[in-house]
Amino acid sequence: MLLPFFLLLALPAIVLAAKDSTHQRLVKLAAENNGVVKLDAKTFDLIISPQRDWSASIHFTALDKRRKCTPCREFEPSWVAVAKAWSKVLPSERDSHFFATIDFDDGQMVFQRMGLQSAPVVMNYPPATGPRKSANPDTPITHDFSYGFDPQPLAEQLSAFTPIPIPFRPPINWAKWGVGAFFTLSGVLAIRFLAPVLRNRWTWATITVLTSLVMTSGYMFTRIRGMPNTAPDGSWISPGFQSQYGQETVVVASLYGLLSASFLMLTLVAPLQTSPTRQRTQIYLWTGVVFILFSVLVSFFRVKNRGYPFKLLL
Amino acid sequence: MPKAYPLPTDLSPATVANTASLVRIVAFAFISGAAIASRLFAVINFESIIHEFDPWFNYRATRVLASKGFYEFWNWFDPTAWYPLGRVVGGTIYPGLMATSGVIYNLLHSLHLPVDIRNVCVLLAPGFSALTAWATYMFTKEMKDESAGLLAAAFIGIVPGYISRSVAGSYDNEAIAIFLLMFTFFLWIKAMKQGSALYGTLAAVFYFYMVAAWGGYAFITNMIPLHALALTLMGRFTNRLYVGYSSWYAIGTLASMQVPFVGFQPVRTSEHMGALGVFGLLQIVAFVELVRSHVSSKQFQQLLFSGVIAAGILGTLAIVGLTYNGSIAPWTGRFYSLWDTGYAKKYIPIIASVSEHQPTAWPSFFMDLHFLIFLFPAGVVLCFKQLRDEHVFVIIYALVASYFAGVMVRLMLTLTPIVCVSAAVALSSVFDTYIDPTEPEVSDGDKVDASKKDKSAATPASGASVVGLLTEMVTSGPSTTKKAKPTQRGIFGLDTRAAVIVNALGMLLFFVMHCTWVTSVAYSSPSVVLASHNQDGLQLIDDFREAYYWLRQNTPKDAVVMSWWDYGYQIAGMADRPTLVDNNTWNNTHIATVGKAMSSSEEVAYPILRKHDVDYVLVIFGGMIGYSGDDINKFLWMVRIAQGVWPDEIQEPRYFTPQGDYRVDDQASPTMKNSLMYKLSYYRFPELFGGGHAQDRVRGQMIAKPGPSLDYLDEAFTSENWIVRIYQVKKDDPLGRDLKSANAFDQGKKRKRTRPPVRRRSLA
Amino acid sequence: MTPSLGLRGWLRLPVLALASLSWSFVSATSHSFENTAIVRTVDLGGSLVHVTTTYAIRALDNGAQQYLVTLGEKEAHSTSWFEAKLKGQNEPLTIATRPLIPHDGTYAYIVDLPKPLGVNGTVNLVVESVLTHTTYPWPEKASQKDEQSLKYEGDLLVLSPYRTATQRIKVRAPAPRIISYTTPKGLDAFTTDNVATKSSATITYGPFSNIPPSASTAFIEEHQKHIVVHYYFEHPVVEITSLKRTAEISHWGANLNIQNDIDLHNAGPALKGHFARIEHQSQSYFNRLAPHIIPSLTFHLPPGIHSAYYYDLNGNVSTSRLRLTPSIPKAAQMKQYSTLELRPRYPLLGGWNYTFTLGWDSPLADSAGYDASTGLYVVSVPVQTVIPGAVVNQAEVKIILPEGATDIGVFPPFSPLAQERSTHITYLDTIGRPSVALSFENLTDKHNGLIYVTYKVPLSAHLQKPKAVSIAFGVLFLVAFLARRVDLSLSK
Repeated sequence: MLLPFFLLLALPAIVLAAKDSTHQRLVKLAAENNGVVKLDAKTFDLIISPQRDWSASIHFTALDKRRKCTPCREFEPSWVAVAKAWSKVLPSERDSHFFATIDFDDGQMVFQRMGLQSAPVVMNYPPATGPRKSANPDTPITHDFSYGFDPQPLAEQLSAFTPIPIPFRPPINWAKWGVGAFFTLSGVLAIRFLAPVLRNRWTWATITVLTSLVMTSGYMFTRIRGMPNTAPDGSWISPGFQSQYGQETVVVASLYGLLSASFLMLTLVAPLQTSPTRQRTQIYLWTGVVFILFSVLVSFFRVKNRGYPFKLLL
Repeated sequence: MPKAYPLPTDLSPATVANTASLVRIVAFAFISGAAIASRLFAVINFESIIHEFDPWFNYRATRVLASKGFYEFWNWFDPTAWYPLGRVVGGTIYPGLMATSGVIYNLLHSLHLPVDIRNVCVLLAPGFSALTAWATYMFTKEMKDESAGLLAAAFIGIVPGYISRSVAGSYDNEAIAIFLLMFTFFLWIKAMKQGSALYGTLAAVFYFYMVAAWGGYAFITNMIPLHALALTLMGRFTNRLYVGYSSWYAIGTLASMQVPFVGFQPVRTSEHMGALGVFGLLQIVAFVELVRSHVSSKQFQQLLFSGVIAAGILGTLAIVGLTYNGSIAPWTGRFYSLWDTGYAKKYIPIIASVSEHQPTAWPSFFMDLHFLIFLFPAGVVLCFKQLRDEHVFVIIYALVASYFAGVMVRLMLTLTPIVCVSAAVALSSVFDTYIDPTEPEVSDGDKVDASKKDKSAATPASGASVVGLLTEMVTSGPSTTKKAKPTQRGIFGLDTRAAVIVNALGMLLFFVMHCTWVTSVAYSSPSVVLASHNQDGLQLIDDFREAYYWLRQNTPKDAVVMSWWDYGYQIAGMADRPTLVDNNTWNNTHIATVGKAMSSSEEVAYPILRKHDVDYVLVIFGGMIGYSGDDINKFLWMVRIAQGVWPDEIQEPRYFTPQGDYRVDDQASPTMKNSLMYKLSYYRFPELFGGGHAQDRVRGQMIAKPGPSLDYLDEAFTSENWIVRIYQVKKDDPLGRDLKSANAFDQGKKRKRTRPPVRRRSLA
Repeated sequence: MTPSLGLRGWLRLPVLALASLSWSFVSATSHSFENTAIVRTVDLGGSLVHVTTTYAIRALDNGAQQYLVTLGEKEAHSTSWFEAKLKGQNEPLTIATRPLIPHDGTYAYIVDLPKPLGVNGTVNLVVESVLTHTTYPWPEKASQKDEQSLKYEGDLLVLSPYRTATQRIKVRAPAPRIISYTTPKGLDAFTTDNVATKSSATITYGPFSNIPPSASTAFIEEHQKHIVVHYYFEHPVVEITSLKRTAEISHWGANLNIQNDIDLHNAGPALKGHFARIEHQSQSYFNRLAPHIIPSLTFHLPPGIHSAYYYDLNGNVSTSRLRLTPSIPKAAQMKQYSTLELRPRYPLLGGWNYTFTLGWDSPLADSAGYDASTGLYVVSVPVQTVIPGAVVNQAEVKIILPEGATDIGVFPPFSPLAQERSTHITYLDTIGRPSVALSFENLTDKHNGLIYVTYKVPLSAHLQKPKAVSIAFGVLFLVAFLARRVDLSLSK
């Protein structure tokens, strides 16, 4: 008859033991797969158990080839890198936050339960108990991918949920440095041969003109907005006034270049011509070129800006 | 020497000169007329009204200046802005604009011309555009000659790239800044050419005016040193450069520090370090020149030279070091985002959220500059051809400005003047060549050369021919050939001349038509009043002023209005009520607070609203008539900015559907549907359609029925086309219930009241 | 344009002077009349209440010519317009005294009868007056859908210093739907049958007979009754809290510019709860706007005006329609108007305000005349543009004369509270223009007279402006000329 009483006494101990064991297990799992706990349906429930005094960042992904999830595969290395960086910190902090990955093929019902249609997704579970317990532990905070898949911003953002900031260092890109060093060196060595080129104004003229041509034909737009060179369906003119593809930059820049070149021809070269007939042909040629290219440019602009009322030849 | 067409020969040079100057004056009058007239579309189509957002603050400040005088204005603390923080206006603005119109206002009144201050403000920009044309004329005259100057003036007068910021009513700093920019540059060129301290000082004075007028003064602060540096590196250091630069920098910097908003920045921030560094460098170089002219011994010179190099390096290191230990502030975010273009989006979403900070696609370049955009490189090349010191300036300017214009739409403004200048140089040299009547005599001497050139010219690939041309230029050197054998250059026959000139004139004509069209269509609508074309002609949509005026007339004077920051200035200007946030976005947290209130549920938002004594909440809603610039379309920015401060309470992904798209209809995510912004926008919207589908005309989606209900706020006013919706924040319930249950109780009672007759009928 | 009309203003001055002393003399003769019958009709309205009282008078002794019309204190204060006529004539009698004379709790007007009456000579005197601010909305708040009901409060009996054989008071509401009215008690002394009877829209009190001279505190305290009528009112209660009218006379432009700065207030019941646009839209769609909403106002502007403008603090208000009529010859008497249908930016609900500015130009010839013999210009300026049924609490009319105008005379149709002169400086003025400002209060639709201004303008004043301008330009050119010609550079 005392037995239930003992059991009663024992109950909290058992619970604690269970919890501890879970924690131990997670720590072990993390240690095996340098910093990332590989989850399936069961272990998933363990890691988000309601008595957890640890926090967890869980990465839902689908790495299997059949799933054709390119972003997953793009994101994977940064995730691993950040997790690895976290596994370097002292156990006291390390074991209170876990990096875990669950693949679609290991825990389909988990995905369904979370109602996830897309991957990769990273969810941060704050601790439910213990000193760091948060106000509403059962609502995970979804990571915002708006800063891209790079490890640096990822580490910065996840540091909000770890006890101490993640000591992530981006690996030094030796190749870049090497190339840079090589060119500077060669430049310094070749200075005496390059000198006349650098001293020549027309070198700089070419640089200046090309730069301004490229800039004024929307190169920076494509850079900043990360516009593709052409649309997926191969069309190279993006509809709409406020956007453009990389291809357009090339076309427009060369149009501008040709037009201004023909003007230069008319101003600088034609007058040097000493035989009247040749000069006449030249002048007519360049005038025609200007006119035709300009009307091409205008019609191109009409494509971009539907409401434009003016047109030349075509 | 043969002539293509006869010229009158019996004119005395004096006559010619006088006629020329008269023609210049007349032409100039016409240019100013065109520049002003083409900016009056807005006044004619609508009325004499202040446009858009920032101008409303400038206008309000100017009214204070005009009514209370300069000192009142100078230490004006505005308690109604950024409630409850308030704003020290005098110390946080560039007063140049207000001071200018204040002076004009008082001048006119002293002449017994009691012009309304509003009209002064509205017409300031067009007036200054005429001055800009003049400044550009002077500048270009330094580059080439008067004819080029007149062309440039005409271009800048009507080019849309400049009109876009200076139509009548867009009363913003840029209105006067471009004139100051061009005129300062002109004075600088003068100073540099003549080495006159007078012009240097004048440049400094106008630089000061510029500093007082526009934040973009940093452009001058870096352009002039860049020019000086380039000249020095090209081995073109002269005492003229030294005098000009030193006088400009010393006086200009001291003067610019008198503007409270600038204060000690010129010696403490990286934007200004370039100027300081070049100043130091010039001192060193000048010193070296001095010593070199006196000392002969070779080794000593070398020693000195190396010493100078060392000094220069040390100076740079010192600046860098100071930057690191923080006594020199690093680049400010706005400035830095010009170089690292991803920076703004990551760290200062407010800046990234402004539409005019977006990168520029090529159509806007063509829209704003039309055919100047491809004459511009030609002009640059011509500057390279005869590479005088001032041409170096044009080249650098062209390079820098075209990059900036590519990065930010609004910096198109700084690109426009130089494009006009160099395009004018190019075009006027075309005219020079083809109008000049002297014909060269035919010389069959160098056939080979001719044929070579012909081939090179005939090849359509311009690159090759350009290269050929360049080589030819380099070998022949700058502008010596003309003097050497004048008959060698020139055009044969009239038809060729006619062809080219007609072509050019055609382009000019087209340019004029283009500018007129763009100005009238794109740039002349004050976004305060909207115009909609329907069957019976043009009809005005005046909801903003309707709602603001309602606020002004029918709410207590100290009622605090909360809205998204875009409308802060307009509310202050037209409704004259305190606002939480406005368009000078100096306090990110405060804005994020508003963002949070807008993007969280009523229960969460209510305490925030009460804590900030908000009485009215104002939202812009376009779904009724399809006004696309409304708050629902800006909503994600509010979410983002709020998320930046409270990442654990606001998360952007929650406002998207699980499929990850942004919807407002029945598929919208619950967070979206519960957000204050959503509720305020669509409150009672479905009822408008009775039985039919409640379609949001902007998003083109059906709003779920019944529409959202409000517990903590009350609809106070909705403008005629529902664009502006104002809600009153309920005070605490007198019975101490929480408002939700109170509201539920009221509605419950209503329902009960309607029940009894039904029961009675059932009895009978 | 007959200055003689204006000259009545002159005649009034000595009378005003006389007013103060005339009471004693009047009171001495105050028993020289008897009212055989008094009938008073009170037409209830929005902010205005029109009262018409008919006195059937019988003279008791010879040569009595000054008849006293007395009002109770409250009535006197709320009376903003007072006019007495003989029945069947429309030339108003001269009122000998205003401001009225307080005496023993009553206020009296002295009406000069056209000719002295013989003994038992009778005459019927019709006194019209307009009361303002005697009604107020009740209930004080109404929601967007509710109806509008007002309460009128006033005294019952007509006071008179003379015996009154019989008197009857009718209170007429705009619509037959009267919610409540008081039936006063304790008038048995004067009447036998029931005091108040209601037939459709009219409540009739009395007849009361054999009333002793009642213009005394004693009588008032004993018998005067206070009545309250609560009735539905179908039209909005429009109140103009302040009207600033500026009339600028320009001879060069042959133009009379009139500009009104109007503070409009909806004095109906304050809006209960909040304004829901959707309700409003459905109401106006079904054309069932609640009576206390002012969606728009109609102004009757003079004919022949042009370039009318309508704006407020936020700029031009595009929502208004103006139908012009050409100007009519001065002699013509028929009434023609340019009607301006003016919509505020937002519908004016109960208790809301709307401030705006309304102005127009009209050819000066329409309202000006020139007397070659005296060299006197006469210009007439209407005191206000009447909005039917609206009261103007404060009005200031400022008339700006051409620069250099002299011997200025002002003849208002009724005496203003105050009148002051100042100078106003506008475009290209050198010394500024003389201006006259008249201020009034509680203007009603009866106060639609013309203010006549007479002045002289010497030729030199006419030429002032061109002189100034040409001198300015001359100086400018001279400076430019010198700047061109004189070379100040040191290096020679």
